[in-house]
Amino acid sequence: MFVSDVFRLAIKALLDRKMRSALTIVGIMIGAAVIVALIASSNGLSAGISASMGKIGANTLVVNSASSSFSSGSRTQYQLSQNDVRILTAITGVAEVIPYYDTRATVTVGGTAIEGEIEGIDLSKLSDLYKGIGLSDGAYPTQTDTTAAAIGSDLAAPTGSSVQIEVNQMVSVTLSGGGSLAFIVKGILSPYGRVLFSNIDDTIFISMQAGQLFLKTSYYSGFYVITTTADEVSSVQAAIESQYGSNVRVMNAGSIVSSIQSVSSQMTVFLGAIGGISLFVAAVGITNTMFVSVMERTREIGVLKALGYQSGQILSIFLSEAVVTGAIGGLLGTILGYFLSFLIGGMMPMGGGGGGPMSSGASTTEPVFTADLILFALLFPIAISVLAGLYPARRASRMKAVVALKYE
Amino acid sequence: MGLAGAVPSVETTEVTKVYRVGHVDYPALGGVSVKIERGELVSIVGPSGSGKSTLLNIIGTLDRPTAGRVRIDGIDLRKLSDDQLAKVRNRKIGFVYQSFNLISRLTAIENVEMPLITRTMPRKIRRIKAIKLLSAVGLVQKARKRPTELSGGEQQRVAIARALVTEPALVIADEPTGNLDSKTTREVLNYITEVNKRIGTTFVIVTHNPEVSGATHRVIVLKDGMVEKDQRFQRIDAFAS
Repeated sequence: MFVSDVFRLAIKALLDRKMRSALTIVGIMIGAAVIVALIASSNGLSAGISASMGKIGANTLVVNSASSSFSSGSRTQYQLSQNDVRILTAITGVAEVIPYYDTRATVTVGGTAIEGEIEGIDLSKLSDLYKGIGLSDGAYPTQTDTTAAAIGSDLAAPTGSSVQIEVNQMVSVTLSGGGSLAFIVKGILSPYGRVLFSNIDDTIFISMQAGQLFLKTSYYSGFYVITTTADEVSSVQAAIESQYGSNVRVMNAGSIVSSIQSVSSQMTVFLGAIGGISLFVAAVGITNTMFVSVMERTREIGVLKALGYQSGQILSIFLSEAVVTGAIGGLLGTILGYFLSFLIGGMMPMGGGGGGPMSSGASTTEPVFTADLILFALLFPIAISVLAGLYPARRASRMKAVVALKYE
Repeated sequence: MGLAGAVPSVETTEVTKVYRVGHVDYPALGGVSVKIERGELVSIVGPSGSGKSTLLNIIGTLDRPTAGRVRIDGIDLRKLSDDQLAKVRNRKIGFVYQSFNLISRLTAIENVEMPLITRTMPRKIRRIKAIKLLSAVGLVQKARKRPTELSGGEQQRVAIARALVTEPALVIADEPTGNLDSKTTREVLNYITEVNKRIGTTFVIVTHNPEVSGATHRVIVLKDGMVEKDQRFQRIDAFAS
């Protein structure tokens, strides 16, 4: 028998019961779509995180006080001061220690409220820290300027708003701990994107002095510790940790990437399992549909046997019905999953809960489709369908011709 | 009798068939030995339960005897596997049934092509053969119709075309006119007689209809699983030579 004839017969049989075939295909389609959409979004998330980590150098460590700066618990937290800058600078392998102040804030731009961040830092060090960062307009505020700010591109021109902030305009800020401030915009940053857990485009950069003034604290929020070479990152990290014990938290970009990626790969497995379960349910549907079909066509199977079809040929006719069902379901599911993944990506904010979901278009995740994923989404449903169809198809092929021909 | 030295089309030797239901045995055939020469037009008659259909299934290689030997065109079926039996069936035997047994979702021409598909015959060639057979039974205009769009007589002609498209040596027909009126019965019968005469295809027909058995050259009467009578009405040598 030609393979083309086997498939022609299979397709004719499927077309003969259009509704049932369509419903079976929908089952497979949903399974494949879920797999494609979820895995592509999760891939996109981890790719996005990796990309944002890449902007900060592999030789950069972030040192924070061990409990979070906005916790108001009674637990005393270790205070980072100029003394710590000296301690850290003394560690072998440390090239530079950049202290910073930061806090979450609601920035109001022409009536639009944006969840952003205020970071007080030595602005002359900004380009050492964030590779390729630059101004599209104006200049960085000077060290001693406590009224000026350089703002991220999203704050200058919020998405979904016609407002456009110019240099020397005012922006007002409500701090997350209460209180409000206003700054004169001196510089506007070029679009940059996310770094670690913050979005540069949603950040207001101010001088150290302004930071100290407005956050009403003489203690730093944290340090960026830059090592002389990337190889020394882990030894420096170990030295800091042995020096401070549990008083500080030290993060290095590389370890953050790997820990996030392990979370995201766990997520991929989990999401894949959800897709797998829906495919399994679909497979049970195929088995069921095929059993009914074999029952209904008992007489036809008897006729095929009388015409000289061998068991193997009858098996392949029925199995190819499953293959066609799986192939169409897989193909449609992959296409549906492709579009679905953009929807999911739109709801999946990157990073540590800066803005709420959908707060800004730039912070959403682009799904990533690998050839592996597409191939898997196309072939796995076929494999599942064949497995699901195997038992009913075998049953068809092993029927006794005489019995089958008498079946009413 | 028969052609000198020719292998008989069908030869059964002491064929028995016992059906076992639970612990009870039901003998259906009690030792049937018949020899049907090539080109014979034979009918098998007998009351229901006499074993006609059982014998037909065994000759048609759809069922195996409990004991005894069956040869089709000299091939001993005992030694063959199920797949080999399927091949013998496809190459040598055509089937015609009372209820036509056409595949309802396929058109007339597709039904006729079915036995050729299993042979890995290219589509064009099978089409040509199927059209030839459909025009021989006078249905070439209805080639694209499905069985449900055809009358009973037309359906049976499609089934006959399907049985003959493989150019079988033997056609087995189980009550082929059982669902037809007397006019179409006569048409079908005329066609069978004509094919038998012109091509020399062997026909074995199970029937209750005296008109059908009357048109055959030999009537085998079965009773209680045994051959009760075996009558020839016309020497087959008359047209075989």
